[in-house]
Amino acid sequence: MSRLRSWVSRLGGPLHGGRLDRDLADEMESHLQMHVDDNLRRGMSPDEARRRALIDLGGVEQVREACRERRGVPWLESLARDVRYALRGLRKNPGFTAVAVLTLALGIGANTAIFSLVNAVLLRPLPYEGADRIVQVWHTPPPESFPGFTRFSVSPANYLDWRAQNHVFEAMAAYGSTTFGWMDGDRPVAVTAGEVAPDLFAVLRARPLLGRTFAPDEESPGKNKVAVLGHRFWRSRLGSEPGVVGKTIRLGGESYTIVGVMPAGFGFPRWADLWTPLAWSDAERQVRGMHDYRAVARLKPGVTVAQAQAEMDSISRRLEQRYPADNKGWGALIVPLRDEMVGEVRPALLVLFAAVSLVLLIACANVASLVLARTLARRKEIALRAALGASRGRVLQQVLCENVVLALAGGALGLFLAREGVDGIVAFLGESLPRSSEVRVDARALGFTLLISVLTGLAAGLVPALRLMKVNLSEALKQGMGRTASDSGGHRTRGALVIVEVALSLVLLVGAGLMIRTLAVLRAVDPGFDPRGVLSLFLAIPATRYATPAQQIDFFDRALERVRAQPGIDSAGAVNQLPMAGRGSTQPVAIEGHAAAALSEQPEVAVRVLTPGYLRAMQIPLLRGRDVGEADVTGRPGIVLVSESMARRFWPDEDPIGRRLTLSFYPGVPREVVGVAGDVKLEGLADTQASPTLYVPLAQMPQTWMSVVVRGRPQSGDIVPAVTAAIRQVDAEQPVLEVMTLEAFMEDSLAHQRVSMLLLALFAGFAVLLAGLGIYSVLSYAVRRRAPEIGLRVALGARHSDILWMVLGHGLRLTLAGLAIGVLGALALTRLLGGLLFGVRPTDPLTFAAVSVLLCAIALLACYLPARRAMRVDPMIALRQE
Amino acid sequence: MGEKTDVWKGTLALMVLKTLDTLGPLHGYGIARRIEQTSGDRLLVNYGTLYPALIKLEQEGFISSEWGTSDHNRRAKFYTLTRAGRRHLGREARDWERATSILARFLSPGEESR
Repeated sequence: MSRLRSWVSRLGGPLHGGRLDRDLADEMESHLQMHVDDNLRRGMSPDEARRRALIDLGGVEQVREACRERRGVPWLESLARDVRYALRGLRKNPGFTAVAVLTLALGIGANTAIFSLVNAVLLRPLPYEGADRIVQVWHTPPPESFPGFTRFSVSPANYLDWRAQNHVFEAMAAYGSTTFGWMDGDRPVAVTAGEVAPDLFAVLRARPLLGRTFAPDEESPGKNKVAVLGHRFWRSRLGSEPGVVGKTIRLGGESYTIVGVMPAGFGFPRWADLWTPLAWSDAERQVRGMHDYRAVARLKPGVTVAQAQAEMDSISRRLEQRYPADNKGWGALIVPLRDEMVGEVRPALLVLFAAVSLVLLIACANVASLVLARTLARRKEIALRAALGASRGRVLQQVLCENVVLALAGGALGLFLAREGVDGIVAFLGESLPRSSEVRVDARALGFTLLISVLTGLAAGLVPALRLMKVNLSEALKQGMGRTASDSGGHRTRGALVIVEVALSLVLLVGAGLMIRTLAVLRAVDPGFDPRGVLSLFLAIPATRYATPAQQIDFFDRALERVRAQPGIDSAGAVNQLPMAGRGSTQPVAIEGHAAAALSEQPEVAVRVLTPGYLRAMQIPLLRGRDVGEADVTGRPGIVLVSESMARRFWPDEDPIGRRLTLSFYPGVPREVVGVAGDVKLEGLADTQASPTLYVPLAQMPQTWMSVVVRGRPQSGDIVPAVTAAIRQVDAEQPVLEVMTLEAFMEDSLAHQRVSMLLLALFAGFAVLLAGLGIYSVLSYAVRRRAPEIGLRVALGARHSDILWMVLGHGLRLTLAGLAIGVLGALALTRLLGGLLFGVRPTDPLTFAAVSVLLCAIALLACYLPARRAMRVDPMIALRQE
Repeated sequence: MGEKTDVWKGTLALMVLKTLDTLGPLHGYGIARRIEQTSGDRLLVNYGTLYPALIKLEQEGFISSEWGTSDHNRRAKFYTLTRAGRRHLGREARDWERATSILARFLSPGEESR
């Protein structure tokens, strides 16, 4: 109690410090007088009485200081004094302040921006209630059939068995997505729907804003014509109409009853505009070999991921025994949803975070170097303060305080930069960054900024402060501003800081260089087709209007015919899944003449459905045999094309043309190989091995959605309007989706690498700039300091080139030392980049060499300006200064 | 004179409180003098210690102060023991007596057996 009171009183102390000080002075004066009076009464002379009293009383100042300390919170007061003093000092040196604050602002701002990304994407919980209990459930394929693949989507029958047999999940839901055409007025637009098991909302614990989510029986065909709208769709397309529940919406030509609207911020899968129930027919519910759906589940309370995994393993083994034909070797994999959503970008984000941290270190080194120069210049002032009784601790506190003030100013500006920067980065990353809508500079980022600002200030102040402790203050006072031994010591410290900066810059530059090389290698990879001048668009036709296979085939036939008839079109074709869009659907095949194997032992190959003209439009080379033709329709003998790698795998020393095979999902329909096409990259440019692929003509395997590719003649200009108009002529209600050039599509597939590369390059550029500035300022200072010496040398006959080399040599020595350390550091650190690199080793000598040369060139430039100034030193003036 | 020692750490507050308890309101000079006299001039009250101690006691609410006039007509700040101060003094004095009696037994070990 009394302690609390004491603290309240102490904290209040500074408020009326002046009055209390006067009070104390009065009290001590009266004390002194009483002492004198007593001495007089003892018979001393007045002078003697006063002298003795003063001696007994001791130092009035000490008593005052002791009382002041007792009364207030001493460090708080002296801190306030130091802050005021620091602000005054910084105002008096606007140039120094501006450079230091700006340097720190960029360093801190970049860190805050990247931290905001890391925070939103990796740290903040997913926006679902109890999100750490949600897991993604995958199929795992038998490794011998799918070397290198660990995750497969789930098949309906297996998912239903998992759901029925497990005891570890509170709820489990499969989901897929589909695209509907929807008439926005008279304009057909594409709407992406999540096709979801009704339980999805229970798994995510998502509640609707209006109406309800799906009822359990709505997953049966016939009852599934209901829809839950996403908030964005409801707002932007329906004007947030409040009475929307109960109305119908026409999707893909069919009526759906709107049963609910989800709140803002809910999106799963995240691109869904609305949701419809996933309703499998009885036949579909039996399918085990078609892996088209994803599944999420919520763990029961107390169940760990490991327990769930064990349970799924045992269910998988049971299913293996029961359905050996389909399930031999297939297992299940449980992955926490958060890992699932962000796992892919984690390494890139962490690399960026490491990179900005390096930038901040360099900024620190630079500011430390600036502050050191300034502190040493202020040696005399500091020595004076020390002589007047300031303890070393107080002086240290003052120097550090000044830096923290500086860093906080930089932090404030950095926060502003980060807020702008984050929006830019997010816009730039676009869809490739998961959870991007959640990225913002929030309270945690603010706290982070504050923390790193203070730490940065302390770090940048520590080196100068420690140097200062070594300075012999009385020596400094005696010698004033001139040179002292400790001065050159300070200069050595600044040289060391420059070496550190160069080393760190080299690490960053190597990182950026490796990413640039990766991107270049990836761009140079032959995807197996020529994307230049090719436009792709996606057509999903409603099964309601095009119910029979004949109608579906007819639609694509007529659409392609119209497109080809447009002027400027060289060739056009369609495929059910574009290259680079994923491995897509696979099927087991039975090859005639090979030992008849059980279904589960048959090799699976990627299956693509194409139309005549597709290979030509994509410029996928036809290596042998013939292309599919207009005559290869239903009712005619079945034919297929095979990819080069498929031909090599199954008919290593034979001619595949004329051989026959059967797709296992179409038993009894043998198809003859009529041609061999070149391999294309199915998953992405970084695919290391070609996937065996088989092409079936659309007319022999009808589809409701296809990607149309159109190759225009180079001079034909923009062919988009012509192509979309051509499709409208076939069906005015048919939306044309995802219209883009294949080049843009490929560029999109490199988004991760490109963004990492650009940000790394940005940080590296900034690092190099700072390092250059560091070298420049150290050498400038050295030249100023050594002006008399240089003057003497000139007077004694040194040539300009000698002086030039003297200064350049100094700078180059620092640079080379930095390079040497940096190379070692980079060798240790770039291994972290491993996962982001392709076709380049982390120790790529070319990158290391190029980066070192670049850094040397910049260092030389930074050395040249001070060197030129050194050459112009006038010996007379320089010597007179001495 | 040479044998004077500084007040032992932690005891000054107790001496100040006891002095005020015995003599009533008193100024800082008077307190210092009284402590020195009571100790038979063997203790030296350092002024740099006394005033911070007075401030501390006042902050803790054990004493209060007000300006007044001394016997010799000097303006001085007088310190008075508060109720809380009196309670604190009682508590501290008991603790101190207990501590010294324990210590005394250690220092003269024959006492118990006698």
